[in-house]
Amino acid sequence: MTDLRLIRNFSIVAHIDHGKSTLADRILESTGVVARRDMREQFLDDMDLEREMGITIKANRCTCPYTYKGETYMLNLIDTPGHVDFHYEVSRALAACEGVLVLVDATQGVQAQTVANAYAALEVGCDMILVINKIDLPAARPEDIALEAEQVLGLDSSGAIFTSGKTGLGLDELFAAIIEKIRPPAGDPDGKLKALIYDAKPDVHRGVICHTRVYDGSFKRGDKIELMAAGRDYIITEVGKCRPKPTAAEVLGAGEVGYFLAGIKTIADVSIGDTVTLSSDPTDQRMPGYQPPQQMVFCDFYPGIGTTTDQLREAMEKLWLNDSSFTYSTVGSDALGIGFRCGFLGLLHMRIIQERLEREGNVSVVQTAPTVTYEILLTDGATQKIESPSELPDISGVEEIREPFVTAQMIVPADSVGQIMQLSMERRGRQVKTEYLSSTRVMMTYDFPLAEILYDFYDKLKSCTKGYGTADYHLKNYEVGDMVKMDILVNGMPVDALSVIVHRDKAAYRGRRLLERLKKEIDRHQFEIPLQAAVGGKIIARETIKAFRKDVTAKCYGGDITRKRKLLEKQKEGKKRMRTVGNVSIPQEAFMSILDPED
Amino acid sequence: MPHAGQSTSLGIASRAGLYVHVPFCDSKCGYCDFYSVAIKDRDTSPLIDALIREIGVRVPDSGYEIQTIFFGGGTPTVIPIEQLGALLAATRDAVDLSKVVEFTVEANPATVNDAKAELLVRSGVTRVSMGAQSFIPSELASLERLHSPDDIPPSVATLRRHGIKQLNLDLIFGVPGQTLDTWRESLRRAIELKPNHIACYGLTYEPGTRLTAQRETGRLQSCDEDLEAEMFECTVEVLAAAGFHQYEISNFAKPGCECRHNLLYWRNEPYIGIGPSAAGCIHNRRYKNVSDIGGYVRMIGASGLAEIESEAIDRETLIHELVLMQLRLNEGLDLRLFRERTGVDPRELFAEPLGQLSSSGLIEWDDAAIRLTRRGRLLANHVMAELVAGSAVSGDVALPVIAA
Ligand SMILES: Nc1nc2c(ncn2[C@@H]2O[C@H](COP(=O)(O)OP(=O)(O)O)[C@@H](O)[C@H]2O)c(=O)[nH]1
Ligand code: SF4
Repeated sequence: MTDLRLIRNFSIVAHIDHGKSTLADRILESTGVVARRDMREQFLDDMDLEREMGITIKANRCTCPYTYKGETYMLNLIDTPGHVDFHYEVSRALAACEGVLVLVDATQGVQAQTVANAYAALEVGCDMILVINKIDLPAARPEDIALEAEQVLGLDSSGAIFTSGKTGLGLDELFAAIIEKIRPPAGDPDGKLKALIYDAKPDVHRGVICHTRVYDGSFKRGDKIELMAAGRDYIITEVGKCRPKPTAAEVLGAGEVGYFLAGIKTIADVSIGDTVTLSSDPTDQRMPGYQPPQQMVFCDFYPGIGTTTDQLREAMEKLWLNDSSFTYSTVGSDALGIGFRCGFLGLLHMRIIQERLEREGNVSVVQTAPTVTYEILLTDGATQKIESPSELPDISGVEEIREPFVTAQMIVPADSVGQIMQLSMERRGRQVKTEYLSSTRVMMTYDFPLAEILYDFYDKLKSCTKGYGTADYHLKNYEVGDMVKMDILVNGMPVDALSVIVHRDKAAYRGRRLLERLKKEIDRHQFEIPLQAAVGGKIIARETIKAFRKDVTAKCYGGDITRKRKLLEKQKEGKKRMRTVGNVSIPQEAFMSILDPED
Repeated sequence: MPHAGQSTSLGIASRAGLYVHVPFCDSKCGYCDFYSVAIKDRDTSPLIDALIREIGVRVPDSGYEIQTIFFGGGTPTVIPIEQLGALLAATRDAVDLSKVVEFTVEANPATVNDAKAELLVRSGVTRVSMGAQSFIPSELASLERLHSPDDIPPSVATLRRHGIKQLNLDLIFGVPGQTLDTWRESLRRAIELKPNHIACYGLTYEPGTRLTAQRETGRLQSCDEDLEAEMFECTVEVLAAAGFHQYEISNFAKPGCECRHNLLYWRNEPYIGIGPSAAGCIHNRRYKNVSDIGGYVRMIGASGLAEIESEAIDRETLIHELVLMQLRLNEGLDLRLFRERTGVDPRELFAEPLGQLSSSGLIEWDDAAIRLTRRGRLLANHVMAELVAGSAVSGDVALPVIAA
């Protein structure tokens, strides 16, 4: 067991691409945890998808020994995800730490995710160290950036550490700061066991691996423990530390970060945030636990080409056991059959889950347009949350519809403020404040209806700011909005999977856009197809797909047969993928692409 | 019975057609995606020698008796007369001409003179298919054709003078800038020349052609779909009034003057293909030759063959091809033949889509055949796709196994 004085638990938070992974690699390497020759690029990101998307999704961790002034410290690095959708994972990881390195790129300065993550660390009460990174770059302005960070984040710039994850510059200073400035964990090594499960991962061979932070007491192999919230007992089969591969240890003691195995079969048996204690001598101080993750974005997954509902269900179950941050339940659509309504922490999360499903579950998925949760106040005073337009009760019983609002921080170049204000207005944004970080950069805070920034807001922001703008948001509250349900009728038949809830002022515009896209997706038929958007039975937009009159191959002789037959076979496959609604064949793609704004 | 040369089941046939591809033209037309190159000063003899060699290898080896011959391309009549003569002579040597019921050569206006016409007739050619395309100068220009409308009648006259009795004229509708009136005018001028066969093709924007590129870059406005449909309907009426009945989507003939060779394709009968890019389908296997002259000459030189693709026509493929080809014919998909070759009755196989398509008025059938209606012919691709997509064979229902 390590002396508490010699333990430091810390995490790194940063805006994406500011060099967090690179710096973590350097820390692992210079403490000798990973030999340089074994160093894969960015060791802590071990999921393929994370590598591809360049973000850390699952918090990872590592224990590194470091000798300072003649004493060997145990530095526990707990990696956190960098994207707003995974806020919830950030706070999980931060709760297990006493300190946080706020990493800022010396050329880019403070960005939206720096702000969001630093605020999250402040809330948890961590000791903070400002680290200005990439100082090897010629364009680096470490002093200016440190001052900027002081102004925005309230961090003392005189204590800033200047590093380069690339060259290793400043690493000794960084280690010294970690040891000097981050408080050692408090706790009673001899007290009753109190440990927090801050993450859990399934392991095919050994059951669930629980990542834990010990506050008081200690435990070892053979101990009988209780998961307090779950009310279940287990026998510990192994305790250990991540270096970064799980490595068994004798004992895990107060202040330490490590893992345990206890023959837990599925992740569903573990609730993250639960308190671990000894069954024979339980603590009476159960930890408050975590808020369950808040799903903010919903969409339906239907089985795609060559996938059955059962295959999709199986893949979803499997993925959920691995990552329970999303929710799913069965739904049915007239147009698309049986599928699953899924809830996500955000849009990025949705994309990642879909990709993982397809990749790891080997299924194909048709996804409907994402929507947010609405809170409905019924005339009888009851409230109800709905996750899909089809759940909206009959309008006569609805007193009000409330939509989720977020507070967004946007950090943009000063010369794009006008455009951002324009964009924000179009999205029904309300300005909260505007602060100049420097003469050239501005932090704008707005409240937005979540639905308005779901699709393409981030891309729009990027293009208004030539790529320099960044944004981050967190859920604020639900507010009453003049929302209506818009139905889409194809050849006179409402298509349930295409209904959307929209703000009344935007219904006509959205309706027209939606019909235009639908018109592109649906092939001409032998009859004319009216497309209509309707609110409360009133048609607010219409389009017509003209009947086709001629679709015939002019020439088909001996040399053409193979090619023409292949075309025919391709058409046949296409027809098999069509869903028929009111005599009209609608390609599956239409259900996703119509709400996918490209323009 | 009309399908002579076609035996039962998957068809070991004794008679076949012979197609010879001559890949040279005076210049390359903007819409054309056939494999052909501008002849310019090119020495065409190595290619002609290779064609002669392939004929000598393929025709006897196939074991088929040749029933029809078709020289296409390209423009077979552009090559030097000695080479044309050698090619015709080699064909005569390999084929028993007394069994051949039709021998067609494609030609373009202003590519036949007296000497060539005389040679053709002397060599056993019975039919010429002439690429007239249009009688309107501006339309010929937008098709990038070299000849003028006035070249067409003299070329026809030359052929007639030397004894060619069977004559086809090709025309194209849906040309940018064409109107219903100019199309009627081209039809009238064609009829005036008294051919016994007329083929009218809707202009197709084939991938990779100059015409398609012009449309994509907006330099050319394609014909309105509704207008094109009207032109097609007008064609059927005008030609019927002049005594030409439609027997295939784009082909019209005086009674008894249907193109026997092309009928073979539409009836899914065997054919041998010779020359670069040519395809053949013999003994339930389709092959395709390499599409470049140099490669073709080399491969023939090395082995006498120049195949680069080959596929076995299995039962599902055959079903698709029967639908694809026979529905093009006004006589339709022959029920008995379909049963014999696939082991299933198409009315059962396609029961579901047939019901829908007939209630939409696109298809009809009796005890002999399934046919497109007049409206169905305009939507042939749609009908065919509905049939194969809705067929029992595309689901899990296995076809009954029959002996090959
Ligand atoms: N020049 C320089 N480049 C760096 C440094 N640290 C990271 N990078 C580069 O910045 C990019 C983002 O780094 P990464 O560690 O993946 O950032 P993360 O998204 O915060 O994990 C990569 O291309 C790195 O090679 C540094 O100290 N100096
Ligand atoms: S003459 Fe015929 S084969 Fe030659 S390029 Fe023109 S259309 Fe094509």
